[in-house]
Amino acid sequence: MVIDFSFSPFPRQIDRLFEELTRPFVINQRRMLYPPLNISEDADNITVRAEIPGLAMDELELTLSNKSLVLKGERKVEQGKYFRQERPTGAFQRIVNLNVPVDREKVKATLVSGVLSVVLPKSEDVKPKKIAIDVAKG
Amino acid sequence: MATDIEKKETGSLPRYRPATDILEREDGFHLFLDMPGVAKEDLVIDLKENELVVGGKADHPPVEGERMIEVEFGGGEYYRAFTLSDAVDQEKIKASLVNGVLEIFMPKKERVLPKRIEIKAG
Repeated sequence: MVIDFSFSPFPRQIDRLFEELTRPFVINQRRMLYPPLNISEDADNITVRAEIPGLAMDELELTLSNKSLVLKGERKVEQGKYFRQERPTGAFQRIVNLNVPVDREKVKATLVSGVLSVVLPKSEDVKPKKIAIDVAKG
Repeated sequence: MATDIEKKETGSLPRYRPATDILEREDGFHLFLDMPGVAKEDLVIDLKENELVVGGKADHPPVEGERMIEVEFGGGEYYRAFTLSDAVDQEKIKASLVNGVLEIFMPKKERVLPKRIEIKAG
């Protein structure tokens, strides 16, 4: 008897199972990184966004060195008798390596509803420039 | 079962249970919910009998012209329900949203507050 699996959901589920078996270590490692970051790039800027609920701007420490952006802070423990504690507490630090020189003077950071955005403008000299070529007439 | 999985994946936004701390202080119960990215307008708190339902939406739409290099978080719908104890004074529940953390304060009813009984000397 031939079992035709083409319409059955099983092969995909088995694939999924194997994927999960081979991946969990990586996933766990990523989950340990706090806060979660989104990094994006456009023609002019590199933007780093982080989910950091419960901290004010003055409780966050942002340091820009030559090749990296360091984000530091601490999530405080609330006072009282805990019935349930799911929110992470303690000091955290994340380092974002920048492979492009940025204009240090124009870096801007904003914090809106617990989401931090740091906009790092790329240095003028790394942006592609159009060079006009005069065609010599000879 | 397979269709259930597909439904979750094709839905517009994934649903999360916000990480929550529940604390008791002398004045009552304090709930802290991590809901980063949720604006006040996108937050709904409903109280039905003994159930408090919190829902919120955080949307991070892709920005035109931006290329994502690293993605560790995304938008989602936060949803969580709590059953209230009888000791809570439902009329006086207060909520505030600061820096992506929703704090809900539930004061205890008068009769539950500890009272010191004065002793009169005869």
